[in-house]
Amino acid sequence: MIWTFEQRRRRAGLLFVAPGLLLLAAILGFPIVDSLLLSLQRVQLTGDQVSHSWVGLANFERLATDAVFWKAAFNTAYFAVMEVLLVSLISLGIALLLRHPMGNSSLFRIMLIVPWAIAPVANAVLWKWILNANYGILNGILVSLGVIDFNHVWLGSPFSALNFLLIVDVWKSVPFVALLMLAGLQRVPQSLYRAAYMDGAGPFQSFMHVTLPSMRGILAIAIILQTIWSLRVFDLVFVLTRGGPADATVLMNFLAYRVTFNFLDLGYGSAIANVIFALTLLIAALYVWLLWPREPGGRR
Amino acid sequence: MFDSLNRRNLLKYGAATGVGAAMAGFWTRPVRAADAALNVFCPLPPDPAPPGAAEFAKEAFAKWQADHAASVTYEKLGWSQLHDRMATAFASGSAPWDIIYNCGWVPEFQSFLAPYADQLPKDVVDDLPPSSFKTVTIDAKRYGAVFTLSLLTLFYNREHLEKVGLKEAPKDWAEFKAYAKELTGGGRYGLVFNYGDPAGIGGTASYWMVFLQQAGGKMYGEDRMPVFNNAAGVDALQMMVDLMAWTDPGSISYANINDATNVLLSGRASMMMNWPFMWNTANDPNQSQIVGKVSSAVLPAGPAGTASIDGTDAWTVAKASKNQDKARELIEFYLSPEVQKRQVLDTGWLPIRLSVLADPEVQAKAPNAAVVLEQAKHPYDSFVTPDYNEVTVAVGTQVQQALQGQKTAAQAMADAHDAVVAIVKRRG
Repeated sequence: MIWTFEQRRRRAGLLFVAPGLLLLAAILGFPIVDSLLLSLQRVQLTGDQVSHSWVGLANFERLATDAVFWKAAFNTAYFAVMEVLLVSLISLGIALLLRHPMGNSSLFRIMLIVPWAIAPVANAVLWKWILNANYGILNGILVSLGVIDFNHVWLGSPFSALNFLLIVDVWKSVPFVALLMLAGLQRVPQSLYRAAYMDGAGPFQSFMHVTLPSMRGILAIAIILQTIWSLRVFDLVFVLTRGGPADATVLMNFLAYRVTFNFLDLGYGSAIANVIFALTLLIAALYVWLLWPREPGGRR
Repeated sequence: MFDSLNRRNLLKYGAATGVGAAMAGFWTRPVRAADAALNVFCPLPPDPAPPGAAEFAKEAFAKWQADHAASVTYEKLGWSQLHDRMATAFASGSAPWDIIYNCGWVPEFQSFLAPYADQLPKDVVDDLPPSSFKTVTIDAKRYGAVFTLSLLTLFYNREHLEKVGLKEAPKDWAEFKAYAKELTGGGRYGLVFNYGDPAGIGGTASYWMVFLQQAGGKMYGEDRMPVFNNAAGVDALQMMVDLMAWTDPGSISYANINDATNVLLSGRASMMMNWPFMWNTANDPNQSQIVGKVSSAVLPAGPAGTASIDGTDAWTVAKASKNQDKARELIEFYLSPEVQKRQVLDTGWLPIRLSVLADPEVQAKAPNAAVVLEQAKHPYDSFVTPDYNEVTVAVGTQVQQALQGQKTAAQAMADAHDAVVAIVKRRG
């Protein structure tokens, strides 16, 4: 058999990337497959070993009737939608301010990145102190300013606790997305703004008809990334509320952890984790589709 | 050397320093080939930790290692991470420990533990409260030895009580409510709890278990099915709901005991249920603003008398350990009168040995010891089962809903009962 140059080139390329692919398969593929198999089993710690028995789709059927799972799913959906909305809007606002000549200082960018750079658990502990009902600084400031008359228990009621988790996560997520959007803003050609100005467009019209359409790709990427990240929130729940009060802040990731490691129900915990994985995979696929290079005619 | 400090040199020196540090550890490693190497899994201080992990009985510990040709290394973790670390280690078949701290999880991990405590010397066993073996005994085999008498008792700010004309601690539920009401005001609350985390010993559900026993109820019947959906269960929860009017409202958000303890220690609450370690903390000027003002008392009695729960801090031996005898000897050392005495004098964690608890020096240093001993004369069942975490999350979540007024006590008990029945049936 005679190999063409192109075939030899492709074969050599394949051989070069094979070790990397094998490593990826071992690191990523094995846990995914193992987790999927676990979700089809009942797993128990008995007789100084782990016993497995196949239960088919029973763990997934149990999801359908598990009120806590649905509560976690609703909480997660609310959290994800609100987080994406808030992070996108706030980040866009900050990016616009940073692009303004008065905000174009590297000091602002350094300050902006601080919340994002803080380690997740340290960030959660920091907010735990800020929100403490008895001696938290938030209560202290609001009382001293006369905004509130007495200390509030910010993490004490279901609605308030979930929304404060949201606020904390938004605070942490905004910097990265803002910088992403700033990069997108800086790519918009100035000639478009000048042309719009010549056509009589004001600042708002320029924003609506030049800025936003030019940033469509960046906005989509930011939204998708933020959706994926919001599905993975765990550390905030673990440190700030442990899912309470009364399961009001249980998100799906935390529930998967609780069922797997606290309750030692490894099969059911894997089923929940696989639901999160499937959702993330779908959104990631959308992300890849958006980033896939387009041919000049717009085809992918 | 630093004249030519650049990124390349910095990396080079960093790597050299790292290798040097690693090699230093290699050359100076104290383990001799003939030594038995014991690996102990325990909590980080200030939670109850053994000599060598906590700052007490260090010389005796070093001598024990030398005398027994053994080297002991500790894996210490924050208390909240202990269970999950054990679960993952056992599930993956890679638990490296000989001795393992347990706290109510013995039924859950029983199959990975050895019933070594049956072999403890008679003089040791005779000096321990028989009831201390309850949470570590399964099918008449003893899998652990509790090493600290750790029951919930009442801690109160004596100065606050005296200011409103109260001379001694509340004795029953009626007084408990009246005291809490009287002590609330001026930015202060009568009570503080940590109701934020429903799970485990010290979680929301376990506080309800205290009131449940005081009301004359219990969790399970002879058939191991839940039996708490009755007047005692509802009364216990209603008592907690009633007390909320004078409880620091932040209690529902405090996820661990330290959050609530800090409120009492800052003088912003007057009473709380807490573990014996609190005594030292409350009298440490570096941690407390109420030094010398704290007293402890037996918990107020309900219709059936006073009752508490057991912290169940126990040492267990791994079934997979290759040094089970040596591990048992080390636990005997932990339980020796000298170590037990230093444990309470230096860390505040009470001993479990009755002879040490009766020691005048111990009673002078830890006046709460007598209170805990008195509390131990009454029921203190923690109702641990293999699915304790799942059960306490189910019950604790319902209790939280009742405390927030989302459900009546009766409705919450009925829902908790149904949830626990489902868990027990699933356990099989």
